[in-house]
Amino acid sequence: MDIEKVIRDLHPLGGQVLPIRTVQETRPVEEFADALVAEVNVKAASKVIKALDSAFPKDPNLPLSHLRRFAKREMLPQPLREAIEAQNAPAAPGQTLFVLLSPPLPDVEKLKAILTPFAPTPAPTTPTDTAADGAAEESPVPTIHLHPVKVPLYPPFNTTQAETWTKTLWPVVFNPAAPRSFVAPPPQTLARAQESIEPHAGYYLSLAQRVAQEAEQSGLGRSVGAVIVDPAIASELAPEDNDQTTWDEAVLAVAGDARYSRPEGGAPSQAQQHPYIAPNPASKTYNADLEGGPELHALMRAVELIARWRRENDREGPSDTPESARLSPLESHFLYRHSPVPVPLSPSSLKRKHEDHVSESDIVPASNDLHTPLPAPPSVDHAAPAPATPRIRTRAQGGYLCTDLDVYLSHEPCVCCSMGLLLSRFRAVVFPRGGRLESGGLASEPVVGPVAEDGTEASSGEHERGYYGLHWRKELNWRALGFEFVEDVDVEGDGAVFHA
Amino acid sequence: MASQSNMQFRDDPTAEDSRHGHFMKEALLMGEKAIELKETPVGCVLVYDDQIVGWGMNDTNRFMNGTKHAEFIAIAQMLQNYPRSALQSTDLYVTAEPCVMCASALKQYRIRNVYFGAANDRFGGTGGVLSLHSDSSIDPKYPVYGGLFEKEAIMLLRRFYIQENEKAPNPRPKKNRELNSRTSQMSPLPGTGQSLPTRGPTRYNRVGNSKPRSLGV
Repeated sequence: MDIEKVIRDLHPLGGQVLPIRTVQETRPVEEFADALVAEVNVKAASKVIKALDSAFPKDPNLPLSHLRRFAKREMLPQPLREAIEAQNAPAAPGQTLFVLLSPPLPDVEKLKAILTPFAPTPAPTTPTDTAADGAAEESPVPTIHLHPVKVPLYPPFNTTQAETWTKTLWPVVFNPAAPRSFVAPPPQTLARAQESIEPHAGYYLSLAQRVAQEAEQSGLGRSVGAVIVDPAIASELAPEDNDQTTWDEAVLAVAGDARYSRPEGGAPSQAQQHPYIAPNPASKTYNADLEGGPELHALMRAVELIARWRRENDREGPSDTPESARLSPLESHFLYRHSPVPVPLSPSSLKRKHEDHVSESDIVPASNDLHTPLPAPPSVDHAAPAPATPRIRTRAQGGYLCTDLDVYLSHEPCVCCSMGLLLSRFRAVVFPRGGRLESGGLASEPVVGPVAEDGTEASSGEHERGYYGLHWRKELNWRALGFEFVEDVDVEGDGAVFHA
Repeated sequence: MASQSNMQFRDDPTAEDSRHGHFMKEALLMGEKAIELKETPVGCVLVYDDQIVGWGMNDTNRFMNGTKHAEFIAIAQMLQNYPRSALQSTDLYVTAEPCVMCASALKQYRIRNVYFGAANDRFGGTGGVLSLHSDSSIDPKYPVYGGLFEKEAIMLLRRFYIQENEKAPNPRPKKNRELNSRTSQMSPLPGTGQSLPTRGPTRYNRVGNSKPRSLGV
């Protein structure tokens, strides 16, 4: 296979890159909690804050900075104001403020004890009030009344939401610049990444599909491919390059699905059981026992190739793992075309490096031998006279997992691989919308289909799927930016059921 | 389902000598091995037909691959000798709740039962953050039982997190950290040497490489 020609002949997919919304955006949780409001003396406001903060330290996991701590009487929502005025003795106008006691709520008696020193002085009874003559002479004891309210636990998404809450619950601040408490990526970050992805996304996805095709035709896997790109290199590629002959410079590794390649329990692999038959017969249905495992999926293999390359170059750690021992021609081409061999280098040193690599492949257990494809042939251009600088950063150069890298996939990755990409610290993940799968872990909402004549939505005929939106979940420790590529031409998913 | 079974274990004073206790101790030993090798101390064993057929420990640093979690290592080992279908009759004992990645993998592999020690509210996939084991999908659900030898699992993790991760690009100095040896389960009552009653799973920071939260962008 003339790899260079295969790459040059690729036609980029045409279409647009769209951010995948987060599940919090598609299903905004409006979570509310109980809070209390108390009227306090306006002059004591700062003391009130001090007393409350020292008695009840804030929960850093529950940032409530969108809730105003104080409200003037006229800022109170109407229902709350009425409830308060029905209970509290009228205070002198402008002499009091209302403080919010936010969740988690402490003991009410303790609260009252803390706040009582700051209770408003009731307005003196008017002299004309004759009915309560004797009693009114003594000044009433200042008391604290606590009024229940509901408050939103998460910041508002927009001004409309903020205004609604302010009018009905408690005054709320909308801060467009604040990180939306991790419910969605910061808009500037998302926009910058989208801009950097757009120029070449069609090419990388086209390559991912070509890798998928290779995987399927080899009989080793399903038709799924992954391409790992360094956006820092991509950004240096001339965008005005009309021939688009340089886009593949930023590709660090590609990997195809290989779920049928692993012999299990001493038995030959699915690929070995059906030699020279492609696609593998096992791919016609979903039989879990024949699906290999997620570590043989394209994304996991691509991640492992980067790791393997680093291990080989750092000369430490395990030298190889069976599931990634064999590389397809495309995989080998991209992984080994730019080895970080110290310059100046002699052809012989390059050659020796090749042999090292081959011998490493050869030490995998014999049971792992495959009929097809051949063991990774180190590509010829590897020995090109002017070796480029290494594409994959070594450990010494600060390379760590897949930090700062993007991954392009032919299909929506399964839940397992979706989390695998987070654990690998990718910056971004991109897949074509036509490659959505019921078992996928990234989509966060159904595609709104064309509306049929009778007004019912055109259904894809699939069963309920989970919309996990795993790329960006505020609950998770790691997050990536997720994009779908919506092709200009309508690409229907084929409704296949399997894990990519 | 999980909480019910939690109760079974917690109320069972002989857990240590039980079948579950035996296998969980093997998993803890794998965790000990991990800590010796400066890996995040999560260990597991796969049990098929009352035999341990796969051992695993978190091995992300050595492999330079953040997806090399204990479960994957153990499954790879098991599959050298058993067909994949054997996993349908296999139980997993793991010191920490499987993460989202592993919880999905275990489902795809159709594990029979999962028994774990410490819960994981940072990326647990069987109740910690998501509940993949009980979500409907193209694979069947599986039962999960948590809280087994929980305090031992937590102590293992705490011992690790006071260390530094030399493999991370910017290791955070942790020289001044002290090992907190108390858990809600262990705190001795003054003078009695007895333990306080359990108050639900104790949370710990995270399983994985100790590197600060970042966008990576």
